[in-house]
Parts: sequence; C-alpha cells; structure tokens
Amino acid sequence: MSDDSRADDQSPDVTRRRFLTALVSASGAAVAGVMAVPLVTSLYPTAAAQALATTTIDLTPIEPGMQMVALWQEKPIVVVNRTKEMLATLDEVEKKGILRDPDCNVPQQPPYCKNKYRSRVPEWFVGIKICNHLCCIPHYRPKKGSVAPWWLGGFHCPCHGSMYDLSARVIKGSPAPHNMAIAEYDIDLHKMQVVVTKMYPKAHLC
Amino acid sequence: MSGFAKWFAKRSPLPEMWREHMAEYYAPKNFNIFYYAGSLLLLMLVFQFVSGFLILVHYVPTAGGAYDSVFGIMYDVDYGWLIQYAHVDGVSLIFLLLYMHMARGMLYGSYRAPRELVWVIGYIIYLAFMAEAFFGYILPYSNLSYWAGTVITSLFKSIPWIGGWVTTLVRGGTGISGDTLGRFMALHVALVFLVIVALVVIHILYLHKVGSNNPDGIEIKENKGPDGHPIDGIPFHPYYSVKDLFGFGVWLFIFAAIIFYNPTFFHIFLERTMSTPANALKSLPDVTPPWYLSPFYAMLRSIPNKNGGIILMCVAVLFPFILPWLDRNPVKSTRFRLVTRIMLLVFFANFIMLAYLGEQPPLPQFFLPERLGAAIYVGFFVLLPFVSKMEPTRTPPKRVHYHAH
Amino acid sequence: MRIRKKLRRFDMKRLVVVLGLVGFLGSFSPNGYAEAHFELKTPHYAFNKATIAAGAKLFAKRCMSCHSVKYMRYEFMKQDLGMSEADVEKYLMLPNGASFKGGMVSAMPPRMAHKWFGVSPPDLSQIIQYRGQDWVYTYLLSFYRDPATPSGWNNHVFPKVAMPDVLAPWGGIVNGQGKVLKKGSESPAKFKAQVTDIVAFLRFVSDPSVFQRWAIGPWVLGLIAFFTFTAYLLKRQYWKGVK
Repeated sequence: MSDDSRADDQSPDVTRRRFLTALVSASGAAVAGVMAVPLVTSLYPTAAAQALATTTIDLTPIEPGMQMVALWQEKPIVVVNRTKEMLATLDEVEKKGILRDPDCNVPQQPPYCKNKYRSRVPEWFVGIKICNHLCCIPHYRPKKGSVAPWWLGGFHCPCHGSMYDLSARVIKGSPAPHNMAIAEYDIDLHKMQVVVTKMYPKAHLC
Repeated sequence: MSGFAKWFAKRSPLPEMWREHMAEYYAPKNFNIFYYAGSLLLLMLVFQFVSGFLILVHYVPTAGGAYDSVFGIMYDVDYGWLIQYAHVDGVSLIFLLLYMHMARGMLYGSYRAPRELVWVIGYIIYLAFMAEAFFGYILPYSNLSYWAGTVITSLFKSIPWIGGWVTTLVRGGTGISGDTLGRFMALHVALVFLVIVALVVIHILYLHKVGSNNPDGIEIKENKGPDGHPIDGIPFHPYYSVKDLFGFGVWLFIFAAIIFYNPTFFHIFLERTMSTPANALKSLPDVTPPWYLSPFYAMLRSIPNKNGGIILMCVAVLFPFILPWLDRNPVKSTRFRLVTRIMLLVFFANFIMLAYLGEQPPLPQFFLPERLGAAIYVGFFVLLPFVSKMEPTRTPPKRVHYHAH
Repeated sequence: MRIRKKLRRFDMKRLVVVLGLVGFLGSFSPNGYAEAHFELKTPHYAFNKATIAAGAKLFAKRCMSCHSVKYMRYEFMKQDLGMSEADVEKYLMLPNGASFKGGMVSAMPPRMAHKWFGVSPPDLSQIIQYRGQDWVYTYLLSFYRDPATPSGWNNHVFPKVAMPDVLAPWGGIVNGQGKVLKKGSESPAKFKAQVTDIVAFLRFVSDPSVFQRWAIGPWVLGLIAFFTFTAYLLKRQYWKGVK
C-alpha cells in the first residue's frame, strides 16, 4: 500500500514536489537566517564592555607643564598641559631638522591632529604613551638639556633610546620608525575633560 | 555526483544509517498529534544547547557576579533578552512536550513488550531533565535559586548514615554558596547535558530496533506486504520528515509568540522571585516549585512526616519505571480497554490538579485534596495489575485505523 | 458498537485541547505574598515612550537620591526612548560623576543607607517583575502617618516598611484611617498621574526589550507562519497518496 502511494509519481506531482521542496527550503533558510542574527550579534562587545571602551579624563588636576597618565582599553594615555615655552620648542625642533616626520605624513594620528601640535587644542596633548619601536612606555622628559645637551623637551624611551619631541614626533637616530600614535578623542574645555573614544585605525601602535 | 556518492558510501557508515533509520525505517501511518512530541523534543534540545551556550559566554559563576552577569545578558548583550527568554521558556516547553510524550506512551501501551527498555531509558531521560532543570535553576543566584537550592539539597540529608556527607558534597559547603554555583554549572553544562544527549541517541536506537508503536497498539510488522514491508507502515523519510517539518513550523510559531509577547508566560515560566538577588537572611514567603515539578512537591508535603513525605515522593517518581510489568492485559492500546483508559484520564487530570495544588500556600484547606491526589497517583499503579487482568477488552483490528489527512 | 463510536469521537486532538485548557487554567496561582492582603489598585495609562520618559525624569528627581536602577544605562534612555543626550544629562544624570554609558546609580552610599534606615534601599531595576505593577503603584499611594513606628511612617501594602513617605510633599499626608492630615502640592488626580508615570518607567526598566519585541515580533511570526504554510503544502503533497 505504501509503495502504491509512491507509484503516483507522475510528472506533475514530481514537479510540484520539487517546487514545494524548493519553496520550503527557501523559507526555512530565511527562518534560519533570521534566527542566526541574534546568535551572532549577542557575541558583539556588550554595552558594559563598550562603556569601558571609552575613558574620561578630568583635566583640572593637571598643572601647566605636568603630564597625567590614564588607562584606556588597557593602554596608557598621556595628557600633557603644554606651556607657551613648550609649544615654542615645537618650531625650534622643526628648524633644527632633527625630526623624521615633522609634517606627520605617516597617518599615526586622526586627521584633526595632523599639525605640529598633534592635538585638537595646542595646550593639551593627548596621545598613547607607547614607543613606536617595541612597545615600551617612554619617559616624559620636559626639562631642557635633561636627556642630552641639545634636548628641548619630549619623550625618551628607556628600552632602546628612542626620542620624541613634545608632540611625540620621532627624532632622527631613534630605532622607532614613526611618531607615537594618537587615539581618537574629544575635548571639552568647559567641562575640563577629555574622552578617549577609539583607536585611529590607520595608526601603527608599535 | 554519483561518483562521489559511491566513493563516500564505500567509506562512510552514514548512507546505510540513513537508510536504516530514515529512508527505510517503516513507521505506522496512523500517528496522531501526540507523535509530534518526539521530534519537537529533539528540536528543543538543539535550541537549549545553542541558547545555553550563548548564555555561558557571558555567565559568571560566582556568588558576587552571577546575578549581575545574568541580568547583564538581559540589558547589555545585543538580543541577550531573546536568548535568555528562549532558554527559560524552552525549559517549560520541554516539560510540556515530555508530559505529552509520556501520556502518549501510557495511552497506547508504548511501554509494553518489546519496548520496555525504550520506556525505561525514556523515563531516565525525564529524570535527567529534572536534574538539568534544577541545576540550571540555581545558576542565576536569585533568591528563588538560593532557597530552592537550599530546600532540594537538604533532601539528601534524609539518606541514612551518609545523608549529611552527601549534602555537603553536593553543596560544596554547609550552605548554598558560590562554590555550589561552580559545581552546578559544571553539572548543568557538561555532565547532565551529555548524559541526556547520549541517552536520547540510545533511546532512538532502541526504538528503531523494535519499531514504533501506534495509537491502535497493533504490531505493524506482523502484517507485511509482498515487498516485505509492513502494509500499515510508511518510510519515515519522506513522509514523517516532511510532516515533522510542518510540526516544527507550528511549534516555532508558538515558541516565538511566547518569547515576543509573553516572555514570562504570566510569570509561570519565569517566576517573579527570580527577579530579586539571593539573600541568605530573607527566605521567600512562599516556597513553590516550578510548575513541572509541582505535582511531586504536592505529594511530598501531603504527608505531615518529613521522611514519610520524602519516601512517598521517591516512590511516586520511581513507580513509572515498572509500568511495563504492571500492565498484564494482552492488548496494548487503551483504545480497546475502556476501564484502563478512564483510569488513565483520571490519572492525568489528577496529575494536573496536583500541579495546581503544589503551587498553593501550605494551608489546611489543601491538605485533603493533596492526600487524595497522592492516593490516586499511587493507586493507579497499584490497581493496574488487577484491573488490566480483569477488564473487558475489545479485540484490536488487524489493520490500523487510519483516515487520510 | 456504541462504545466503539463513543471512543472514536473522543479523538486525541480534543483530548489534548481539553487537558491543555485544564492545565492552563489550573496553573494560575494567586500571588503568594502574605503581606498583600490590602486590595491592590491597577494604574491605567498608555505605555509609550513619552510616558516612560516623563516617569524617568520624576524618578531621577524624587527617587534616585536613595534608589538605583543600576541595570538601566543612561544611554538606553537615548537609544530605546529617543530622549536627546542633552535631555538625559539635564534631567536624569543628577548624581555627580555619572557617566552616560554607566547605569543609573544612586549617589547614596550603601553603608550609610544601612545605618540610616536599617536596610539598604533596594535596587529597583526588577521591582515590577518581582512585585508587579499593581503592587508598586498601590504601595506608593498607601503611605500613612503612624506615630508608633520609628520613622513615623507606615504603609498599608508593606507594613512597617523602613522607607519614609518621600512623595508626601506632592501627594499629601493621611493617617491610618485615610483622613487627610496635610494636602500635597499636587491635586490627587495629578499626583496619581505622576505616580503612574513612575510606575511606567519602572515597568520599562524591568524589561527594556518590550519595544523591540513588539517591533520585530509581527515580522518574525509572519515569516514563521509563511514557512509553516509552505511546509504544510509539501506535507499534504506527499501524504495525498497515503491510504
């Protein structure tokens, strides 16, 4: 009896079965696809993780000439309150011709930081305090003549001696190839705070 | 493609397994609505695994972090609410299907020879699901988790001599704590789940060895056609694979409707007391079990003696194991045994009533119905050997009763 | 033969439906809280984003000095309710140092709260799931003056509660028999509306997925229904020949 039912396979039936099977497969695939969306998106960074992804830094305690280091996505962010004298050294260093990439042609910084200050606001430098050579954390050496007789102020890495100016632009002779990376950030001088948001995708950290 | 098919068939057992269990597995053609439950349970097992896995990604098994991690999923994870509700609602829907599945077995004598072991293995799966649900229940570490965990694990204390030792072992300490969460998570995610999957595979293999029963309780293999296949049988694939696909669709619709429009299902699938964190100093005003364990709880507390209640509950839970040997009627299906059918329907209604009673506060007005309910439950099994031997029984037909649909 | 016919009509589908109904109706259990013998009132309101946003502002002003809803991040108020970031900062982010991506946490230090009230004011993220909206609504409207308690306040729905009647300035003060001792700054109808808004906000906080569920639910169900229909056609096509 059961085989008789299968002997009913005349052409229209088989065609109809093929059509219906295709239809069921397509709608089943659609259902499966819809179900896959929450499955995959639930693995995205959660709202809690995203909250930790940005760091807000309060600028009020940073005296002129001082630095502050804050943690952002497990990386050190250095904020320097640069004085007028410090800003003047940025031109001096360029005149001396000792910078490898004074015009920041290599995109180590977001477009709004592509200037000699490498920041949104000249007085406030916000960068990632990681040496571009092999990822050590350089020292902040603002005092003139401290690292070398000609030293105008900047960052000096203790691991292999890479040197940077007060905009973290790399000085010739350093093993580090590029300027230190700058992350994307917002600054609000009324609230006196900086919010570091995300990594600038084109920059090479180290 | 045929070249590859031949190459593959020479090396893989899958093609002949496909033939044995799907394309040439002849199942009775008169399956009714109850028979959707088996494949739906398989579907739900997959859903519970997937949703559970995605919850495990975010879950933190510590006393301080568990509750926040679970609600972190609800609030912070994209579609976390969907995955969480699916997992919780899935538990209640699985038990609904299990009860439908077992009711079918009892109505049609699917536990009778030669399928006794299919029944026994299936009943072990039911108990494994109860354990799995219990361990999972504790993991969110809500106040209900804490007190339900405390109450159930203290049942072990009544085991003679080693009771206290067992209880401490299960809890990982003197009371429910973060250590309990660690071992319950291991049990829930790894051990009991794997046991369930293995038992389900064995359950199906044992069934396929003897062939499926049907609502008329007659053995289709006794009536073979000229081609050697049962006259009342049809190959599982494509007939039941296609029918089960339709069943999946209907079921998915119900499942999605619940998740999207009534995710706590009137706070029955997800109790209100799950929404407050564990507090060792503040026990719940009413201790009620989830609905699917409620009938046994009602029987437990119907006996005013602590050990007596536990013994009754254990007897009630374990009695169905010997059901195949209690039924002594030559005919399998209660379609032809009116007395047993009525007893069975009373048993089902009584089970539902016990479930309702188990959720009520422990007030004197409920004691008599609970005791009556326990008596009816146990009475069914005690009376069955005698009733089945003596009841008027109609002769089942030679061919199954089937109407085209 | 008569018995045979009776059994035939008692088909499985009907049995399942009947048992299902019995089970469904029988599984409703009354709210088991021994405290809530006081009859609960139901708030009536339109559950929409505007109501919830109004409730959020009231909650921030009147409740957040003690109570947190820590799972509710401020950014969800923007994402799910459409409030502007400026509005969220102005009306909701009142505790100092609150972060937009952080949860709505009260400024009250938990240990001090324990010292002052004997118990920490609980986090209210899940209060509607736990107690139900009727309970919370009635609770907020059921405070009365009671000289016998340490705080001077009591509540019909939650006897000897440690919380004082924070809303008294707006809702007025009554004694245990309901006699008005002091009128509030709002009319009774306006006050009830404000309490309703707060309840609506708490209901949203208890389950913020609600709007997302209602938005995508019809599409998901529609797609599944379509799939089921095609599967039914296929099943019928195969089963036509089975006799």
